[in-house]
Amino acid sequence: MISIHFASLLAVAAAALSADQISFDAQIVPLLTRMGCNAGACHGAAAGRGEFRLSLLGADPAADHMAIARQFQGRRVNRTQPGESLLLRKPTARLEHGGGQLFEYDDPEAQLLRQWIASGARRGPPVRLSSLVVIPQETLLKEPPWEIGIRVLAVLDGASPIDVTGRVTFVPTDPAAVEVVVPQELSEDSRYRIRARRRGQHVVLVRYLDQVVPAEVSVPLNDGPLNDAVVETQTPAPRHFVDQQIQRKLDMLRIPRSPAADESTWLRRVSLDLTGRLPEPQRVSAFLHSADPRKREHFVDQLLHSEAFIDYWTWTFARWLRLRSFPHERQPLATYAAWLREEIAADTGVDEIVRQLLTTDGDSHVTGPANFSRMVPEARSHAEMVGELFAGIRLGCANCHPHPLDRWTQDDYHGFAAIFARLARGRQVGLAARGEVTNPRTNEPAIPRIPGRQALDPHGDHRQEVVAWLLDPSDSHLARAMANRLWQGMFGRGLVEPVDDLRLTNPPTHPELLAELARDFALHGYRIRHTLRGLALSETYATSADVLPGNREDDRFYSHATPRRLEAALLVDAISDVTGICESFPEHGVERAIHVVDAALPAVVLDALGRCARIDGCADSASRSFGVASQLQLMNGEVINRKLQDPAGRLSQMIARGDSVREIVREWILVALSREATAEELNDWEAILRVADAQQQRERLEDFAWSLLNSRAFTAR
Amino acid sequence: MQRDDRRYSCDARMRRRDAIQIGILSLWGLTSIDSLRAARATEGRRARAKGCILLWLDGGPSHLETFDLKPDAPAEVRGPFAPIATKVPGIQISELLANTAQVIDKVTIIRSMTSPLGEHGLANRYLLTGYEPSPLIQYPSYGSVVARFGNGTDLLPRYIAVPEAGWGGAGFLGTVAEPFAVKGDPAREGFRVPDLDFYPEVDSARLLRRQALMQRIDRGVGTAEEAEAQGDPLFQQVLRMVTSPVAKQAFDMDQEPVSIRARYGSRTFGQSCLLARRLVERGVPFVTVHSTGWDTHSDLVLQLKEGYTGAKPGVGLIPTLDQGFSALVSDLADRGLLDETLVIAMGEFGRTPKINAQGGRDHWPRVFSVVLAGGGIRGGQVIGASDRTGESPADQPVTPADLAFSLYTLLGIDPHQELITPEGRPVPLNQGGQMIQGLI
Repeated sequence: MISIHFASLLAVAAAALSADQISFDAQIVPLLTRMGCNAGACHGAAAGRGEFRLSLLGADPAADHMAIARQFQGRRVNRTQPGESLLLRKPTARLEHGGGQLFEYDDPEAQLLRQWIASGARRGPPVRLSSLVVIPQETLLKEPPWEIGIRVLAVLDGASPIDVTGRVTFVPTDPAAVEVVVPQELSEDSRYRIRARRRGQHVVLVRYLDQVVPAEVSVPLNDGPLNDAVVETQTPAPRHFVDQQIQRKLDMLRIPRSPAADESTWLRRVSLDLTGRLPEPQRVSAFLHSADPRKREHFVDQLLHSEAFIDYWTWTFARWLRLRSFPHERQPLATYAAWLREEIAADTGVDEIVRQLLTTDGDSHVTGPANFSRMVPEARSHAEMVGELFAGIRLGCANCHPHPLDRWTQDDYHGFAAIFARLARGRQVGLAARGEVTNPRTNEPAIPRIPGRQALDPHGDHRQEVVAWLLDPSDSHLARAMANRLWQGMFGRGLVEPVDDLRLTNPPTHPELLAELARDFALHGYRIRHTLRGLALSETYATSADVLPGNREDDRFYSHATPRRLEAALLVDAISDVTGICESFPEHGVERAIHVVDAALPAVVLDALGRCARIDGCADSASRSFGVASQLQLMNGEVINRKLQDPAGRLSQMIARGDSVREIVREWILVALSREATAEELNDWEAILRVADAQQQRERLEDFAWSLLNSRAFTAR
Repeated sequence: MQRDDRRYSCDARMRRRDAIQIGILSLWGLTSIDSLRAARATEGRRARAKGCILLWLDGGPSHLETFDLKPDAPAEVRGPFAPIATKVPGIQISELLANTAQVIDKVTIIRSMTSPLGEHGLANRYLLTGYEPSPLIQYPSYGSVVARFGNGTDLLPRYIAVPEAGWGGAGFLGTVAEPFAVKGDPAREGFRVPDLDFYPEVDSARLLRRQALMQRIDRGVGTAEEAEAQGDPLFQQVLRMVTSPVAKQAFDMDQEPVSIRARYGSRTFGQSCLLARRLVERGVPFVTVHSTGWDTHSDLVLQLKEGYTGAKPGVGLIPTLDQGFSALVSDLADRGLLDETLVIAMGEFGRTPKINAQGGRDHWPRVFSVVLAGGGIRGGQVIGASDRTGESPADQPVTPADLAFSLYTLLGIDPHQELITPEGRPVPLNQGGQMIQGLI
């Protein structure tokens, strides 16, 4: 009898001991995160749910312990009958629970909670997560079933690493593509596994306490070694680092690369991407027939030093910087735009441009860069714009709570805004004597700080420090953000998308490439012409848009080019150039759409064709708003049709001159598509278009011209 | 204890709805409309409502002057109009809504709508999406959701706004789900949708020839059918619309008999309601009629009743609403369309119980009224109530999230389903709402 009692006492003691070791911070809170209890849709909402409020994703364990163990007169935990605690009865659905049933009564989750409650439901000492490591962090899965065991180790308070795989929350960024499989039975050998459900490159985020780290798994798009026949045979090994990195990943994922685009395609593409204009027709034939092995370099250099380049990049920066005029006050816009144009023309480094934008005060009617501060109404939006534009960081979430996917806190957000709080944004831009933002977390004036860094002196002017932070030589935020935008400009998609949302949990498709690109950009004085030149002359850029069976599904590894629709301004100007009839923008006093830089004034034709005039700077590459109304305009409206019928236009003039159908078709194809039509092509067109009756002939030619201007070959780049 | 393999996510609810989730995303995260629709099979009951007409009363119509009069309240609350009896004993509405009173047996009045948002922009978005606006997510409005997930004609855009959509945009659903704004004024002589008619001398035959030439340029060779199969979907849709007599006729107000046009009233609002009926008749699943001017901070009598000083009879906002709304409801009923067409009339909030110094009322979201008809709802009833002075809900508060939930359910769209934003963020179509008790 005594021995039995002793044994059972030991057992209880042992159980009590192990229960004592349950850490609220390190085990219970992560359990709540894993089960979704403290998600924004549930108890982590600002107002909680069912009068039970937890901190979002476990950011505040002290408050969470209070809510669980002390609030509601401590009725959520029942220390004498742990199984009867509300904390258990709700998620096991013994009581009605808005969140449904999360686990069974004898599941390990319920057991853990019971043990913790039985041992006193204590908070215990706070826990600090020193580091979190996923093993493996990156993996290539070549064979089905495309899965691999995964472990997560954590260092808590500097102690030895412990296995926390069972505690963390796994968040696939694309649940349809990749999942985490829980072992059937938890034993020494059983492992959590990451399983890819389809081919490609996928990321699973691993969240534990206050850190989130990505785990990347890749599955090649094709099995087996690549067929030599589809590998392009141009140069033996890529020379430019862009091509090296792109090829490396294509090889790893076994994606065949499409062949190079033909010369015409390249010519048209690079002209539009660097200058927003079609190649000048007289240059096209010369280029196509030139035997100069360096003709592409010469052509690119000529583009980089053209007026059109300055126009296009001024327009681009104007959109990013949200240039707009104010009612009854047009001078600031004119000054700002003129200043911007000068800087682009002079190839001023973007670092210097940003320095001026962030620190220049003065009369906005006279001092261009002072207007940056006038494009946002107050400190918070100022901080958000600086973050998004110059660092590619979206701080917005952190306005109300710690950013769920990144490391920014409310103090970071409001502290950053505080740096811009004293700015007066009238005609005279400058720091006023007073100005502050309230940090809702403390209800006090926010203490200025650079995100992620120490607090700053509340009374100083810290804008220079913001510049220094953006240009940090060891890892320049500005270089990364800008290099990514330039890449997007040339390839249609950033290495990180969206381009204003760079974060650990939104990794680039090609991390080393982006890092190298950024380094190179910074090294060369942050000059856009330098980086754009490199991209324009890369082999990756010269790849055709034709897909191969093995790379049809690739939309982010650059195995083939991806055409995208021309923006409204570029399309309208291209139509004007081809038809020979200008558009006019009376409100703006200009004749080319590329010169329309004021987002506040209407531009009827551009708006009808989906001009992006959004207040937030049109960052995402998918924000073309070309819809039914735009298509109607092109089909039945004036934009094209009027110009085709205009007697001063190219078509009318050629007909009046007596040019043959062949000549007309040849010239239009040259001007619109930068291509020389073959004799066979011209024969075919002649057969279709030539008719005896002059009126019908005219109509057919108009139809042909219209079709050319609506074809994908024309409207895409 | 046997456990299935489970997929982890931080939202436990997602586990149970994985099946729907999988269907939403196609290869590479690019959504195709077809895969979305396939995933969107209706649950349980088949929806009665095939279409929805939203009469958006922009500015915040006063509940105390329309559907929730307080004749026993003190003079400074009562307002200038008196209530009248309706076809249903016990239900009284404004004297200026005499025609609506006659069709009240087909109408549900919700008198306990409540919202915390009293600013136009915020409140508009809340009432049009069921979500309180967030700086991070642009929630799609009802029309865009219906355009994307509902069924309907291929000949016309699925979400049409007369004349414009205001805040009712597609949000993160993107261009494909944006409304098509007809612009112009259906009441005006010669009303035309911009660019819907052929450009002079460029008729249907020429357009079809142009399409063929276009495809030839893009494809090089190929038969017409093959080329068409690979054509641009937007272009195809617009070409169908432009070359289809049905589509053009839909917008041709002259096709309506004069007597019908007169029934709706000759002003913009009434004719817009008529146009909306013509569109849903032809399979457009969502039409918004955008009526402005309801933000009556001053002079209730002039704006709401008279329209211009001394007008008799009044041609102000409420009589115009009365004629258009009642005509729409009874016209739909006459044509046997009411059961399958949900009609909603509402604005973004109500107005202050105490009349202000300018003889008007200011913003008041704490309680206001919304009316519904058709689409399978139970007519001839009042849901909820406000208190004695029209200040707060006294019974059965209804939130815009509840309204959204109910609207989607009536239209056969699962409000629980999760949408994915272009950034990969899961967003439930509706959050926190439930079916309005007593609505059906």
